[in-house]
Amino acid sequence: MKTAMMLAIIILSGALGDVYIAKGMKQVGEIRTLRLCELAWLGRRIVSNVAFLLGLLSMIAGFLAFLVVLSWADLSFISPATSLNFVLATLGAKLILKENINRLRWFGTVLVGLGVALVSLP
Amino acid sequence: MKTAVVLILAMLAQAGGDVCLSQGMRDLGGAIQLAERELGSLILRGLASPTIWLGMGLLGVFFGLYAAALSWADLSFVLPATAFGYVINVACGYYFLHEAVTPARWAGSLLICLGVFCVSRSEMRTALAGGRAGES
Repeated sequence: MKTAMMLAIIILSGALGDVYIAKGMKQVGEIRTLRLCELAWLGRRIVSNVAFLLGLLSMIAGFLAFLVVLSWADLSFISPATSLNFVLATLGAKLILKENINRLRWFGTVLVGLGVALVSLP
Repeated sequence: MKTAVVLILAMLAQAGGDVCLSQGMRDLGGAIQLAERELGSLILRGLASPTIWLGMGLLGVFFGLYAAALSWADLSFVLPATAFGYVINVACGYYFLHEAVTPARWAGSLLICLGVFCVSRSEMRTALAGGRAGES
């Protein structure tokens, strides 16, 4: 039960982290320049964006939870299970970012999730 | 085209970063066998390793490029597409670090390739349909 709850926190934090980082970057706007002074200005806007910071904090929380759960659970169980992040983040992209996701993209995402789970096996 | 170039550079940076970190940690010795009081010295030795710094720098480059791609492309495209980095990692582990790769890992790599192919095809369809999914 404890492991399942921690696993849920890891997957949810990772997915929310991706979604809010994407939301923050969209709010900052498309990066079109390679000039250092403009990139520095964009960097300041990015690190002061609330959605981006929320995403980053969420990712850090997920990583810390991952480290904590490894103190009692097997990596060979935890690591493949976190591949659910791909499907959950895509669901978040649809519900929170209102992205248009067709069946082919869903199918590809599920294949990627399964593949990552297999690659993560010991 | 811009998305593809940025994502390929991001995945190469990620794979390079992972290989450097892995090699750097191996050079430090078996961390698992170290006693807890030696953890501090392990971290200090890690911070003195140029390979580990290079690995962390490359992972920083990966995150920067990943975030940049998200400023114009859909998360539902960028996230699964970057999973191809796992395949590059398996290949790098096999060729550069001489790791044994199990059949399950090869099968997983194949599934990731198929999945990324489907996701990239869906991006082309969205773009052709005039959607706002970003260019490909």
